[in-house]
Amino acid sequence: MANRIYEVMYVADPETTDEAIGKLNEAVEKLVQTEGGSVVRTDDIGRRRMAYPINKKKEGYYVLFEIEGSGQEIAELERRMRVNEAILRYLTVRVDEDRKAADKKRDKRENKASKRASFRKTGDQNEMETANNAR
Amino acid sequence: MADNEREVIEERDIVNTSVDPEFIEKMPRRFQRRRPRQVVPDYVDWKDVDYLKQYVPERGKIMPRRISGISAKDQRRIAKAIKRARAMALLPFVAD
Repeated sequence: MANRIYEVMYVADPETTDEAIGKLNEAVEKLVQTEGGSVVRTDDIGRRRMAYPINKKKEGYYVLFEIEGSGQEIAELERRMRVNEAILRYLTVRVDEDRKAADKKRDKRENKASKRASFRKTGDQNEMETANNAR
Repeated sequence: MADNEREVIEERDIVNTSVDPEFIEKMPRRFQRRRPRQVVPDYVDWKDVDYLKQYVPERGKIMPRRISGISAKDQRRIAKAIKRARAMALLPFVAD
């Protein structure tokens, strides 16, 4: 089965120490690996003001992962995150399909543009030929 | 029809000039209709708050299609991205 790519973001309590966050991220990576997936990218966004308070907290510590795998590791990861009290929110989004669609759209557009350009070129050539014939 | 609209606006302006100038500033300005055919990127990223804010006026509501002027398909994609951003407290549900 083709591998899927997910974006997993969590918002942690802003009072957790950087050390604890580091540990958490390591634990995520380990968990994903034991379940047969891999962490493609880890983006530690850091403390950020939230648009509305969650659990009476105005700030949150944001971390984003990009995970490749079958989906099993996501299920386990979400289970763990639900239990962890330092994590205020988490969100998983499957991105491979949307990215593929975006690539397809871009390719289509580029294809069209190149076709149009080549048509224009032949048009110019025709003009040149008619000019030569006239001469 | 366009002429009618202009007339109405002008009329309102005339009325306003007779009122206290401070009041005019507080008057709710009519939303300007956006140009149709807005270009939406191939991939709408739910993390790109600055981009999504374009479609979220001050109140925090998602801009309707009649004002945003984007295709139905793109509007759905943008609405979904905004909702995801809201869940992660990147964008507000309501702001006042």
